[in-house]
Amino acid sequence: MEIIPEVIDAPEITTGQFVKLTVYNSYDDTVAGNFTIGQTYKIEDVGNTNWTSIGADSNNSGVIFVATGAGSGNGTAANVTFLTFSDSYTEQTLPQYIGNTIVANYSYNPFGGLLTVGAQNRELRVTSGDTSIAISGISGNNMSVILGTEGLIRGSELEIIRGFYNANMILTNNYTRFTGIITNYQITEERDGLEDNFTITLSASSYKTVLENRIAGRKTNKESWQFFSTTDSAMNNVNSIAGVSFDFGADPKTKIQPGYGGGGTPGGGGGGGGGGRPNDRFNEDDR
Amino acid sequence: MAGLQTIVNKCGGLTINRRKVVGLQVTRNEIPRVTVTPTTQPWKMTLDMPSSLRYYDNRDLLEALDTMDRVQPEVISFSDNACINWIFKYQGDLSAGQIAGMRVQSFVGNQLILNSLPVVPASRIIFKPNDLIQIGTNPYPFTSTTTVTRGTGSTVTVTTNRPNIISTSVVNEGITVGNDCEFNMFCPNMPTYKLIPGGYVGSNGTTLNNALIEFSDSFELYEYVATA
Repeated sequence: MEIIPEVIDAPEITTGQFVKLTVYNSYDDTVAGNFTIGQTYKIEDVGNTNWTSIGADSNNSGVIFVATGAGSGNGTAANVTFLTFSDSYTEQTLPQYIGNTIVANYSYNPFGGLLTVGAQNRELRVTSGDTSIAISGISGNNMSVILGTEGLIRGSELEIIRGFYNANMILTNNYTRFTGIITNYQITEERDGLEDNFTITLSASSYKTVLENRIAGRKTNKESWQFFSTTDSAMNNVNSIAGVSFDFGADPKTKIQPGYGGGGTPGGGGGGGGGGRPNDRFNEDDR
Repeated sequence: MAGLQTIVNKCGGLTINRRKVVGLQVTRNEIPRVTVTPTTQPWKMTLDMPSSLRYYDNRDLLEALDTMDRVQPEVISFSDNACINWIFKYQGDLSAGQIAGMRVQSFVGNQLILNSLPVVPASRIIFKPNDLIQIGTNPYPFTSTTTVTRGTGSTVTVTTNRPNIISTSVVNEGITVGNDCEFNMFCPNMPTYKLIPGGYVGSNGTTLNNALIEFSDSFELYEYVATA
């Protein structure tokens, strides 16, 4: 029988938080051959493009790189702004994994105590959770990074990693704590006498929360229908039934209307609608 | 005039704060558990000023402090004043020439490895705890946390109070120790000063009123870690 060990080992633990923020600059991906040298991209579809020849660490989807060439082939990548920072004491390089394979390495800029990472829930089962990161003591130039995205910061991907240091202050392990999407940002300016401090706070929701709040499907109108297929005319006349109550699933007989049952009259019962087509038993409004 | 250096030279008391940023809990079996944030562990010094400085003798000091305000750093040392140069005096056994001959082999985390060691008996002490060390012309002095003796090897390892925060390579650089080390500090609180009329001073054959300077607070110096 295993027993829970007594808490006697290593009384001190040194940890740092590493933040990876990917801001999408465009809704459309860029096809290989059109990459701008010096621009940062995130590989979306590997295709047959040789990504390592234009700056990527590996040919894997999700790898972020600074383009050193226009590229070739049919692969696609998203135009992104990639920000990596930490509360560590110095610049650190952390790997990006796919499974157990390292596909890229990214350097994290040290912000020290100017970076605050909010509370996060970590459970065995998938749980919803929000968190925030705050960067304080920043200059106006850094604020422009956020403001310059003109709202694109919302929807950006946020990943928070916790790194563990050994007794010699060398980073030895790291684990992902949070992955989610930026849902809001807030810039706070505090003036107190002759002191002026800026703080940027980014709020993020986990992917589970995002999926919970996702609105799926199509609206029953012409525009929504033809967004997916421009020739789909199924909803062209839907406006004509606006405001009409439906009773789907009810007994069809109760909905027989005079004139639609094949010549019967309200008083005579109509004789079962002998001349009518099968569908005529439905009120037109029921369609 | 060097404002902060003058303050250091004339201060009436010095508080040194090198505490880490930690989270402390005590377990149910009453064992402390500490979480440490890996900061740059900057030097923090609080200097108490005597209220005996005379205004007319120190107008240049006041101007230097006002110009510096709370934003500009200044390099200070504890070597140019006989009253305070004992604070960080080197405690080891090596001569200045022997120290200057040593080179940095590597500095990873808080482990500084030195080579090109002097030919001295193995028992000679190179560093004692709290000995100040600085690498080349880089800022950010640190201290040795243990006693380091020469030994018989070609290198010695020094455990430092804080990890290497120098962003450039320090391999093959020399070191300075003790009072030769310099601190790049700024004063985030930069006290204001009050003039208390008292005394007279002669100027160009006339007599002018003088005053004593009273600072509103102690000077809290903070190490300026520009890039880490």
